[in-house]
Amino acid sequence: MTGYPAVLPAHASQAGRAPMPRGRRSTELLMLGFAVAVVLFAYASVGLGLNGRVPTGMLTYGLTFAVIVLAAHLAVRRLAPWADPLMLPLAALLNGLGVVMIYRLQQSGRGGNPGNVITTMSSSSTAQQILYSAVGVAAFVGVLLVVREPRTLQRYTYTLGTLGLVLLAIPALLPASLSSIQGAKVWIIIGRFSIQPGEFAKLALAVFFAGYLVNKRDALALAGRRVAGIDLPRARDLGPVLAVWAASLLILIFETDIGTSALFFGMFVAMIYIATQRTSWLLIGLSLFLAGTLLTSKLFGHVGERFTIWLHPFQGNNPTHDAFQLVQGLEGMGFGGILGTGLGHGQPFWTPLVQSDFIVTAFGEELGLTGLMALLLIFGLIVQRGLRAAVAVRDPFSKLLAGGLSFMLALQVFVIVGGVSGLIPLTGITTPFLSQGGSSLIASWALIGLLMRISDTARRPAPQSIQDEGMTQVVRAG
Amino acid sequence: MNRALKRISLACLAMFGLLLLNINYVQAFQSTKLAGEPGNIRVFNQQFQYQRGSIMAAGDGTAHAVIIAQSKPAKGSPGTFRRSYPAGPEYAQITGYDSIYGATALEQTENSELAGTDPRLAVHNLVGLFSGRPKQGATVFTTISAKAQNAAYQALQAQAQSDGGKPAAVVAINPSTGAILAMASYPTYNPNVYTTFNGPQLNRTDKRLRDDTTQPLLNRAITPNYPPGSSFKVVTSSTWLSGGAARSPASTVQAPTVLTLPNGNPLHNDGDETCGNGHPQLIFAFYVSCNTAFGQLGINVGAQALHKQAELFGFNQTLSIPFAVPASEYPLVPDDSLRALSAIGQYNDEVSPFQEAMFAAAIANHGSLETPYLVQSVQAPDLSTIQTTTPKLLHQTVSSQVASEVGSMMLQVTQNPGGTAFQTAGPPAVGSLNIAGKTGTAENGVNNAGLNDAVFTSFAPYSDPKIAVGVIVQGGGFGADAAAPIAVKVIKAYLGQG
Repeated sequence: MTGYPAVLPAHASQAGRAPMPRGRRSTELLMLGFAVAVVLFAYASVGLGLNGRVPTGMLTYGLTFAVIVLAAHLAVRRLAPWADPLMLPLAALLNGLGVVMIYRLQQSGRGGNPGNVITTMSSSSTAQQILYSAVGVAAFVGVLLVVREPRTLQRYTYTLGTLGLVLLAIPALLPASLSSIQGAKVWIIIGRFSIQPGEFAKLALAVFFAGYLVNKRDALALAGRRVAGIDLPRARDLGPVLAVWAASLLILIFETDIGTSALFFGMFVAMIYIATQRTSWLLIGLSLFLAGTLLTSKLFGHVGERFTIWLHPFQGNNPTHDAFQLVQGLEGMGFGGILGTGLGHGQPFWTPLVQSDFIVTAFGEELGLTGLMALLLIFGLIVQRGLRAAVAVRDPFSKLLAGGLSFMLALQVFVIVGGVSGLIPLTGITTPFLSQGGSSLIASWALIGLLMRISDTARRPAPQSIQDEGMTQVVRAG
Repeated sequence: MNRALKRISLACLAMFGLLLLNINYVQAFQSTKLAGEPGNIRVFNQQFQYQRGSIMAAGDGTAHAVIIAQSKPAKGSPGTFRRSYPAGPEYAQITGYDSIYGATALEQTENSELAGTDPRLAVHNLVGLFSGRPKQGATVFTTISAKAQNAAYQALQAQAQSDGGKPAAVVAINPSTGAILAMASYPTYNPNVYTTFNGPQLNRTDKRLRDDTTQPLLNRAITPNYPPGSSFKVVTSSTWLSGGAARSPASTVQAPTVLTLPNGNPLHNDGDETCGNGHPQLIFAFYVSCNTAFGQLGINVGAQALHKQAELFGFNQTLSIPFAVPASEYPLVPDDSLRALSAIGQYNDEVSPFQEAMFAAAIANHGSLETPYLVQSVQAPDLSTIQTTTPKLLHQTVSSQVASEVGSMMLQVTQNPGGTAFQTAGPPAVGSLNIAGKTGTAENGVNNAGLNDAVFTSFAPYSDPKIAVGVIVQGGGFGADAAAPIAVKVIKAYLGQG
């Protein structure tokens, strides 16, 4: 049979095969509407809580936010129609709630309670964050636009690897005046603008790790000896692992950034495990991490201090004490209790830098345990959808990349939320989508873009071989 | 790779599980403990977002109640309430202050009612939550009489101006109920300086007041820091009179000019004077305040009896009114010589003006010492009363017979021309108002080198006692001269004869 029929008979396309996977873009739109509604409700709630009236800018704000997410949705419809329908609404909801919380924190600094001005925020913080959201969504669309097929990224394994390392190294090499804000030497400061290159380096390095490990995974998985039930890798295969370990230690030492270094190393170990399926790599990674932490905590005062603060936060609780921030965060969460004080009714402004590292405690205070659990579940769902895409996608590079990115997101949430809630020693990293600041938000949107591209690839039905349509006979058994 | 991915998924699940468990631990189980951490800014600050209840001086009747502490919307910060004390320093020792860092006195002890967090206000708050009415604290009505308090504060101020600013304090109690009518201490402070929201400024103010050598923050009215001097003779007389039915104020007692104590030391009367004929009636020894007579009585009655009687007057017992009134001290003194000194209030007995008021209150109320209290009632914002104090007997200090005998002796202190307080609290000063009292001029300091503390315990009117007043002027000299006039002013003001 040559040519193809203009309209396939219904029985021809349906009979005998699994139902066509659906893009579920309308579900996505519906859920996006819901996310926008939740965000608007929260925004009104802040105004009512603080001043007893709905904020004046609500309409413009709502419209802007709705337009931004609608643009994202339309882009997905066009560029990745088979992508997971849940990721975009979840990311939009987190982004919107983050902006609302930043609006709320900025208000408290101005008149809500005298003497408690959050000096690190300005009256334009919210507007800036909305602008960053727009740029973030643009980055998201950009990723979908440029990366049409995730496999193509594999070509740039070493380019992106180099780029990632350079981005990471820049703040360490720059003088403090151009790279250090409040003691964290992780910035590039150009005039009024400052970016955190590490946030983007994470993505570049994830691609590098995925590309590198896909090439080497056979050697890493199969070569080596078996000792005491554990497959040990060859010494020469250990080289790259040690190199990454050393690099993350260097970040730790030169940029005093334990969080980011733990994040890189954790992501790398997880990806090497996914690539090789060998538990020995997990054990090696974990021991290297512990050794590194122990070593640096002995060598560098500030690392050891983090441990002391973690173990005894309430010893020497006063405004000049190093544990003050952690204690304020914990007391804020405790103050919120199970149901929270309600938006605008709490006092999150006591916690230093509550709008960045500690924003989760502000949510815990004002939305309570209930609200914070909901937020964590949203993060959990994004991670779960990402891992699902990793399982579903066929190409090993994409699999590895999606797995690594999802794990990194989970790890980042674990490190920061665990840190501010006293579960693990505190390390200052941003909370994805929620913290004030552009770099983290834009990088988070780009990450969602990559995950959605991979899930689009995974869910996309295989191109039908039209010529075979009429020739192939379905042979039914029995 | 899917097997490893599934394991990584489990690891992610575990991480989120740990986070959820931990925030449950922090927010649900640790919440109360965190709220109680010293210096929890949120908990302290929360109260300024609601209208805290007022404190009223309602001792002159609810219709004449005066606001002594209230919260008003703070200027320039909407949604915030600021505490103010309309009478400035006058009620400082009663209300205390409520600052962003903490509270004292009634502001502290009645905090849950004033702040509206008391469980008894829960229903009211819940109704308010649904009707949109803002949360509000309950009003605390104190037993303080504005008239008496005003007179007490003015008298201390006047004393300070005329007498070089000697530290002094007054306490007035309604003897039949135990209701505290006045409580003032000098030097004092203005609680309004503590209501600022400016933390550094508050710290500076607080440091200045704490470092002030005149100790303005000290509530001398309840601080047992002074020897009772001759006012303790009320206790010694009570002990002796209770010891036998035949004993009366008319009984003669031994009162040599110099009593040689068992340890060989001499005990003199004030100014080395004689005490009548050396065998006067008890009542004479009482109103002229002979030391030798009461030193001998102290030896005679025995250590246990005197100690027990002192405790029935309220010694050695911390009271809660509801803030703590430290116990005035009278230890058991087995040594006769030392007990002779303690019986005239000169050994290691230590009293507060509060204890001095309790001496008179017990005698005035037929020997029944009522438990002193400061909070009459607490009223919820919906004007329903959630707490009322009913008088409660603290001790049956002496029999009503002994009480009337001691009372009659105290009356002679002011009415008999030879009485120590005749000039200052007797007819020359107050006319027909019968005040019963006992002066004390307590020697003080190392080897009694310090200035004498002036002490006065009193009640009035004699026939129908309505107020008992204790006054101590530190270094004031003669009790009759320095302390009695202050008590007289408070009594006259309260009885409407000022």
